[in-house]
Amino acid sequence: MSRNSVKWLPAIVVPVVIVAGVLAVPLQAGAVVDLPDKTPEQVLLMVSDSTVSAFSGTVEKTAALGLPDIDLGAGMSGPMAESEPDGTDSAPEAAGTAGLASVLELFTGSHTARVYIDGSDTDGPAKARVQIQDRMAERNVVSNGTDVWTYDSETNTASHLAIPADARATAEAKLAEMVASAPADLSTPSEVAERFLSEIDPSTTVSVGADGTVAGRTAYELVLTPKATQTLVESVSISVDSETGVPLQVTVRADGQEDPAFQVGFTAVDFSTPSADLFDFTPPADATVDEVTLPAKPEMAVDQAKPEIPAENLPVVTGTGWDAIVEVPAASVPAELSANPLMSELATEVDAGRVFSTALVNVFLADDGRIFAGSVPVELLQAAAAQ
Amino acid sequence: MSSSSVASPDVVSTGALSRRRSAGLDLLGSELTVLFRRRRTWAMLVAVALIPILLAVAVRLSSETLAPGEGPPFLDRVTQNGLFVAFTAMIVAIPLFLPLTIGVVAGDTIAGEAGLGTLRYLLVAPAGRVRLLLVKYAGVAVFCLAATLTLAVAGTLIGAALFPVGPVTLLSGDVISVPESLLRSALISLYVTVSLLGFAAIGLFISTLTDVPVGAMAATVVVSVVAQILDVLPQLSWLHPWLFSHYWLGFADLLRQPMDLGSFGDNALLQLGYIAVFGALAYGRFSTKDILS
Repeated sequence: MSRNSVKWLPAIVVPVVIVAGVLAVPLQAGAVVDLPDKTPEQVLLMVSDSTVSAFSGTVEKTAALGLPDIDLGAGMSGPMAESEPDGTDSAPEAAGTAGLASVLELFTGSHTARVYIDGSDTDGPAKARVQIQDRMAERNVVSNGTDVWTYDSETNTASHLAIPADARATAEAKLAEMVASAPADLSTPSEVAERFLSEIDPSTTVSVGADGTVAGRTAYELVLTPKATQTLVESVSISVDSETGVPLQVTVRADGQEDPAFQVGFTAVDFSTPSADLFDFTPPADATVDEVTLPAKPEMAVDQAKPEIPAENLPVVTGTGWDAIVEVPAASVPAELSANPLMSELATEVDAGRVFSTALVNVFLADDGRIFAGSVPVELLQAAAAQ
Repeated sequence: MSSSSVASPDVVSTGALSRRRSAGLDLLGSELTVLFRRRRTWAMLVAVALIPILLAVAVRLSSETLAPGEGPPFLDRVTQNGLFVAFTAMIVAIPLFLPLTIGVVAGDTIAGEAGLGTLRYLLVAPAGRVRLLLVKYAGVAVFCLAATLTLAVAGTLIGAALFPVGPVTLLSGDVISVPESLLRSALISLYVTVSLLGFAAIGLFISTLTDVPVGAMAATVVVSVVAQILDVLPQLSWLHPWLFSHYWLGFADLLRQPMDLGSFGDNALLQLGYIAVFGALAYGRFSTKDILS
């Protein structure tokens, strides 16, 4: 070998070493996991017996539902910013689009959030803080038991909700009531687990998948596979931390798609109690603060609202289990839904209507105004509409 | 170094080592002196400092108040708190201006000496080619730090001069004191400097390929633009974490409460990879190159 080719050697060796390292690290992390075997019931028991009340971590959500990946941040701020000087004509429409967009945001692309939970103080309320990290911005939700704050750094706005002192007591009383009214055989977690498994048995196969690692921790994987053949869902798997029993990741796989259709899970998790001052939130002095008040009697409102919808306008569910189809009658479909420009952009024309299609759920907007939705192929929805 | 395995008296080997090391330091010292005595270097630093100054003056003179979220991030906060000038200027300068100045310095390293015909003299013993390469790279790294610090310091000073200064609101809505915010500014400069090191290594490699400094500078700047274009194409999302420019705007993680150092670590590792690969390529090219001028 000549002197010169020896000098080129590092230029070949270094990339090879880096590529080998990049390939080897995940393999090494995945290869060593071999946990003692457990039945699905035992894994469910681990979850319900879990004593973890305080933790913090980074949660990552990825969705590959086949929705167009709209850059919601950029796309929304443009028209909204323009609408301000023109006057108010376009404002309601923009607000409606933004509302739909924020719902869609959950089901598109990937997001990262940091989560802090502290429920270790058994007498006091549980505290929580969620920080959704955007590019050069962040959205925060802080709940310290007595106050709930939200803060959006992009618009520099905060909103505040004071939780009435009796609300928590009412909620706890209701919970106790529900536990008391539950069938007697649900008094222990293992019976709950058993009951849950027998309830879902007719529609779903429950098994324990391959042991793996999530967020650097060894985890059992509980796999729910639909028995129905017509559904778009291939499987739902829940990774459970082998040590603490905390569910670390949920993955929903769609039929015929290699990447998970929807996945939310920890990329890092820490089971120590987060610092208390994280839950003390004071809005910045220059922020706009909206005060939000709870309706005085929420139960009354629900009772009054119910009779307003006639029985024939209520959604109808056909079938049970994974391949059930929901039919919404035309009368109860909000008018702005079909008029929304974003909606018409996302839906494609088919026979006798339009289809809003994702990897997990199909929605068929029939020409007569009815909406059919289900985790089934479009043909089944069309067939249901034709009946 | 290599002398440790040779059975030579300790005194001789440490003497040789310290002599070599001091030769390297001398070379670095003279390299930095040459770099920072150049009028071009100062012109670039002044241009970098002008970014926050222009930005602050424009905001100050304009009567229009920005709605939150309008314009570059943090621009609407500038009128209430001058410390945001440095953050906004950093965001504005990162995509083009900082890579441009660093491309000029990095592209000039070897090609500039070759073009002037001084490379030969630099390589006369005792300075080896490896050492020259290392010293040149260290010079570029020092310039990266100087440029980002200039930006941060100029931004803070002009912001303090034209606008009120007070506690800073972080992205998470928490408020930190002025000294803590200055500390975070310094950390951001460091983060940005680290982010640019991989790019500087690419510039060094390109500089070894040619004797025409302008060509090396232009090619280096083009590489940074191409990387940033690739970084916004959603079809190439698998490639994004591997692009040297991927974390350039990731310093926002230092403006969260608590600070998120995860991306800082990923970024440092990525830049280290680029330095290793392009450093090795530059070594391969430079050590086998025929020095004719």
